[in-house]
Amino acid sequence: MPISATRDVDWRAVKQLPFDHPGDPDTRSSARFLLWVGRQQLGTLFLGMTFGIVWMLAQALLPWVLGRAVDEGLTTGDSRALLGWAAALLGLGVVQAVAGTLRHRVAVSNWLQSGFRMIQVVAHHAALTGPAVRSRLTTGEVVATVSNDALRAGGAFDITARLAGAIASYFVVAAVLLSTSTLLGLVVLLGVPTLVGTLSLVIRPLQARQREQREQVGQLTALGADTVAGLRVLRGIGGERVFLDRYRRRSEEVRRAGVRVALPQSTLDSAQVLLPGIFIVIVTWLGARLAIQGRISPGELVAFYGYAAFLVIPLRVAAEAVDKVTRALVGAQRMLAILRIEPLVAAPEEPAAEPGPGAVLVDDRSGLAVEPGLLTCVFTPSADDGSRIADRLGRFADDGLVTLGGVPVASLDVASLRRRVVVSETDPFLFAGPLRHELDPWGRATDAQLLEAIAVANAEDVLDSLPEGLDGHLEERGRSLSGGQRQRLVLARSLLADAEILVLVEPTSAVDAHTEARIARRLREARRGRTTVVVTASPLVLDQADRVVFVDDGRVAAEGTHRELLQSSPAYRFAVTREDAA
Amino acid sequence: MNERLPIADSAEVRRDAAALLRLYRGSLAVVLGLNALAAVAGLVGPWLLGQLVEAVKEGTTTGHVDRLILLLAVSVLAQTVLTWFARRSSFVLSEQVFARLREGFMRQVLALPLSVVERAGTGDLVSRTTADVDTLARTVRFAIPETLISAVTVLLTVVAALVVSPVVALSCVVGLPAILLGMQWYLRRAPAGYLWERAAYATMTGTVGETVDGGRTVDALGLGRRRVERIDADLADAYRAERRTLYLRTVLFPTVEVAYVLPVAATLVWGGWLVSRGHASIGEVTAVALYVQQLADPVDRLISWLDEIQVGATSFARLVGVTKVPDDRSATGEEPEHERLRASDVRYAYVQGRDVLHGLDLDLEPGERIAVVGPSGAGKSTLGRLLAGIHPPRTGRVEVGDVRLVDLELETLRREVALVTQEQHVFVGTIADNLRLAHVEAGDDDLWAALEAVDARPWVEALPHRLETVVGAGGHPLTPPQQQQVALARLVLANPHTLVLDEATSLLDPRAARHLEQSLAAVLAGRTVIAFAHRLQTAHDADRVAVVEDGRLAELGTHDELVEHDGSYAALWESWHGGR
Repeated sequence: MPISATRDVDWRAVKQLPFDHPGDPDTRSSARFLLWVGRQQLGTLFLGMTFGIVWMLAQALLPWVLGRAVDEGLTTGDSRALLGWAAALLGLGVVQAVAGTLRHRVAVSNWLQSGFRMIQVVAHHAALTGPAVRSRLTTGEVVATVSNDALRAGGAFDITARLAGAIASYFVVAAVLLSTSTLLGLVVLLGVPTLVGTLSLVIRPLQARQREQREQVGQLTALGADTVAGLRVLRGIGGERVFLDRYRRRSEEVRRAGVRVALPQSTLDSAQVLLPGIFIVIVTWLGARLAIQGRISPGELVAFYGYAAFLVIPLRVAAEAVDKVTRALVGAQRMLAILRIEPLVAAPEEPAAEPGPGAVLVDDRSGLAVEPGLLTCVFTPSADDGSRIADRLGRFADDGLVTLGGVPVASLDVASLRRRVVVSETDPFLFAGPLRHELDPWGRATDAQLLEAIAVANAEDVLDSLPEGLDGHLEERGRSLSGGQRQRLVLARSLLADAEILVLVEPTSAVDAHTEARIARRLREARRGRTTVVVTASPLVLDQADRVVFVDDGRVAAEGTHRELLQSSPAYRFAVTREDAA
Repeated sequence: MNERLPIADSAEVRRDAAALLRLYRGSLAVVLGLNALAAVAGLVGPWLLGQLVEAVKEGTTTGHVDRLILLLAVSVLAQTVLTWFARRSSFVLSEQVFARLREGFMRQVLALPLSVVERAGTGDLVSRTTADVDTLARTVRFAIPETLISAVTVLLTVVAALVVSPVVALSCVVGLPAILLGMQWYLRRAPAGYLWERAAYATMTGTVGETVDGGRTVDALGLGRRRVERIDADLADAYRAERRTLYLRTVLFPTVEVAYVLPVAATLVWGGWLVSRGHASIGEVTAVALYVQQLADPVDRLISWLDEIQVGATSFARLVGVTKVPDDRSATGEEPEHERLRASDVRYAYVQGRDVLHGLDLDLEPGERIAVVGPSGAGKSTLGRLLAGIHPPRTGRVEVGDVRLVDLELETLRREVALVTQEQHVFVGTIADNLRLAHVEAGDDDLWAALEAVDARPWVEALPHRLETVVGAGGHPLTPPQQQQVALARLVLANPHTLVLDEATSLLDPRAARHLEQSLAAVLAGRTVIAFAHRLQTAHDADRVAVVEDGRLAELGTHDELVEHDGSYAALWESWHGGR
C-alpha cells in the first residue's frame, strides 16, 4: 500500500486531524462499520504493523544475542567477541527503541484517526438530525457514546500494530525453538494460543464486574452532581445530613463493588504471573536437560529462558486485542443506534417551487392566517395549544396542513423553510461561545445591529456583566445567566435571525413587568413592516399587537386589537381577565 | 458575580495527603510487605538460571537440574499466590482510602457557607464533584499502588543483583543518568499536556451535549452546519493536545528504552572483564544481566504512572481547596425576641466601590405581604438575599427580632426566614425524599398536608407510586409547575415565619403561575411575605408595594396609593390593564 501510505500519513507518521470530510459510514452492522473505518486508513494500519513487527522482533531477538554473548564472549573469554555481541545487543536495543517509538506514533495516529472519524460521523449526524435524537436517546447516552465508545473503539485499530508484531514474533520464536528441539517448538506453538484462550477466560468475569462497578460509580457521580446542583436548596432549607448519609451509603456500595472487582482483578494479575511462569518452567526444564546432554550450549539455555520470558508480551497483547475488538463491536452498536436516527419531519423528495416574499402563512387546522408585515399576537387559553400552533407553522410537527402562499410547507425544502420561518420555542437554548457569535451564529450582523438587537431585548445588563462585551464568553447552556437573562438573549438572537416570518412563543415570560412592557414596545418597532407572530398571554405584549388572534379550543374565535377584543369578545375578556381576577 | 472556590497550595496538599495516609498506616505496611514478598519470589528465576549455567558448565546430574527447576516452579507458585494476596489487599485498601476521600469531600461541600454557595455558582463545584473525583479515583486506585509496587520491585531487583555480585551489579548505574534526565524532562511537561488533553475532550463533550440538548434550537435556526464546525474545532484542539503529549513521549520513549538496554550490554562487557580476571563467575554475570534486563518493566511502569500522580495531585488540590473556605458567619447565640424583620440603611456592593443598594430602609409588619417591583438590575435580587440573611449588608443592619440575621445559627435562621428563587431543583429520589429534607421527622400525613396546601395533592396521588415515586433526573418527569410546587411544599414543611419569594414563579407559563400563586395564598397566610414579582397581579394583591429603582426605594405604599400617586408604578399598571 505504498501510495495510500504516503497519502494519509505525513512524514512525522501522524495524520492531520480532524477530517474535513469524515465520509459516509457503512451502517449495516457493527462489523461492517468498523471495517469501513479501517478501510479509510489502510495505509496507516499497514505502516503501524510494519513498525510493530520490527519492534517486537528486535525484542524477541534480544535473548538470542544475550545467549551468543554468553557462549562466545563470556564462556570462551574472547573479549573481542564479547564486545561485538554487547554492541549487537545495544544496536538491537536502538532498533527496538526507534521502531518502538515509530510504532507508538503510528498506533496513536491509528487510534486518533479511527476515533476522531467515529466521533465526527456520530456527532455530525446528531447535530444535523435536530430534536429527533433527543426523542430517542438521553443526552447522556449520546455524550457517552461520542466521548467514550468512539475513542474506545479506536483502541481496536491502535492495537493492530502490536498484534502484528506479537503474531510475527510468536512464529519466529517458535521457529527458532523448533530448529533446536521439536518438543520445545511444539510447547511454544501450542502453548501460546492455549494461554491466550485461558487469559481471555479470566478477563471475562473481570469485565462483567468492572462494568457493574462503572455503573455504580456513574450513579454515585450522578448523585454527587445532583446534590451539588441542588446545594442552594439544601443549604437554604436543610437536609444536608440526609443527603450526606445518602451519599455515604452509595459510596460504601461503590467501595464494595470495587472490592468485588478486586477478586477477579487479582486473579488476572496472578494468572499473568502463573501462566507465563509455567511456560518458563517447562522451557527452562527442557532446555536444561538438553544442555546437560550437551545438545545446546549454556548460552542457548539463557536464550531459551529469555524467549519464554519474552513470550509474556505477545501473550498479553493477544489477550488485550481480543478484549479491544469485543469492546469496539459493542461500542459500534451504540454508535449505529445514533447513526440510524432519522429527522422528525421528512424532507420532500421533490421540493415544490418556493412561494415569493410576502406570502401568507396559513394554519388550516386553527384557521389562523398570518398577515404579512404585521405584528400578530396569538392568544390561547391553554399554553399547549399555542406551542402546537407555533410547531405547525414552522413545520416541527406534521399534525395539520400549513400553507405558505398556498403551497403546503411539507412540500418545501426544509432548510429554506427554516430560513424563511424562524420559530423560537418556549424553552429555547443558548450555546457556549463568544456572545457575538452566539447571538449571530450566522456571522452576518454588524456590531451596530448586534447592539440594536440587544437593546430591543433589553439585555444590556448581560452585555455589561461581561468585561469583554460582545467578545465575552457565554458558558455552556448559558448556565451563568439567570433565566430572565437567558430569555432576553434568546430573543435578541431570534431578531438577528432576520427571518421573513418570525414566530416567538412566550418570549418574555421570565422577565419582570417593567421590562416586559419595554421589550414589547421595542419589538414592535424593530419588526415594523415585517411579519411577526407572538404566542403570548401577557396583556403588556398583546397590547402592542397590530392584530390579536384569539384561538379558543384549537380554532380562531375572534380577531382584532387587544383593546377591541376586550370590548367585543366576552370570551377573550374572560380568558384574559381570568388572569386578572384576584 | 461568579467567584471561584479556592484551590489548595502544594503544602496543604502534602499535609492533607500525609494525614490521610497516616490513618491507614497499618494496612499500607501490609500491602507493601506482601508486594515486596511477591517481588522477591519473582527474583528467583534469574538467580536460578545463573546457577543452571554454572552447573551445566561445570557438568552436573539431571537430579540437580530437576531440583533447581523444582525450586523455580515453587517460586512461580509462591509469586502467584503472593501476587494474588498483594494485589487484593492493595485494591481493597485503595477503595477504602478513596471512599473516605470522596465522603469527606462531600461533607465539606454540604457545609459550605451559604453566601459562597449563592455566589460561586454550582458549575465549579459540579466539576470538582464529578471530573476531579473521577480523576482522583484513577490516581488512588491505580497510579499510587502501581507506583509503590514498581518502586518496591525496582529496589528489590537492584538489591538482588547486588546480593548475587556487588561488583558486577555496579553496571546497573550506566542507564541511570539517561533515565533520570528523561524522566525529569518529561514529568516537568507531561501533566500540563495531559490536562490540556482532558480539558479539550471535556469541551468537545460539552459541545456535543448542548448540541443534542438544544436539538430543537439547532434545527429551528439552521445551526446544524455551525454545530458541526464547532465540534470539529473542539476536536482540532484535542488533536493539538494529543500531538503535544505524543511529542513528549517521542522524546521520552527512545531515551529510556536505550537506557534499559545499555546496562545489559555494560553488564556483559564489565562482567566479561571481571570473569577474565577471576573476580566473578559466568553464572553471576548471567544472573545480573537478567536482573538488569528485568528492571525495564517496573521502571517503565514507574515513569508512566508518575505523570498520572501529578495530574491526580491537581485534582486533589481542588478537592482540598473546598475545605479552605472560611465560614461566613459566627453565631452569637442570640435568639430573636419577635418576628419583625427590618432592614435599615442597607448598602451592598459586589465589587468594592460600586454599591448596588444605596441605603435602603424597609420595615415589615409581621404577617404582611409586600410586593417588590422594579426593572431588572435595580438590585431586587440583592435585596432579597440580604433580607434572607445570606449576605450581611456592607453597612446598615438586617435584623429579625432585633438580632442581625447573620448572627443567627443556620438552623435558627431557617426557622425565621427562607428564600425561594426561580432556580429550583428536584433531587433524584422519591417525592417524599424531596419534601422531607425540609423537615426530617415529617410523617406522610404532614407531607400530604403540605402538598395539599400547594395544590399538588391531585397529581401526586395520580403518580404510579404516589409519595414513593422516584423523580429528578432519570426518574418520573415533572413539569416546571410541578417542580415549583414541590419546592413550595418544602417551604410549607420548613415553616419559617417569613418568606422571601424571589421571582419564584417567573419561569412558569403565566397561566400556571397565576394558578400557583392563588393556591399559594393559603400557604402564605399568616406569614410575612416579601415577593419579588414579575406579574403585576401579585403586586395588586399585596398589602403594600415597594418599587425599587437604581438600588433605592422609589415608591412604597398600597396598590391604590401608588396608582393614585401616578408615578412609575401607576404607569405600568395602566399599560398592564390595557386602559380598562
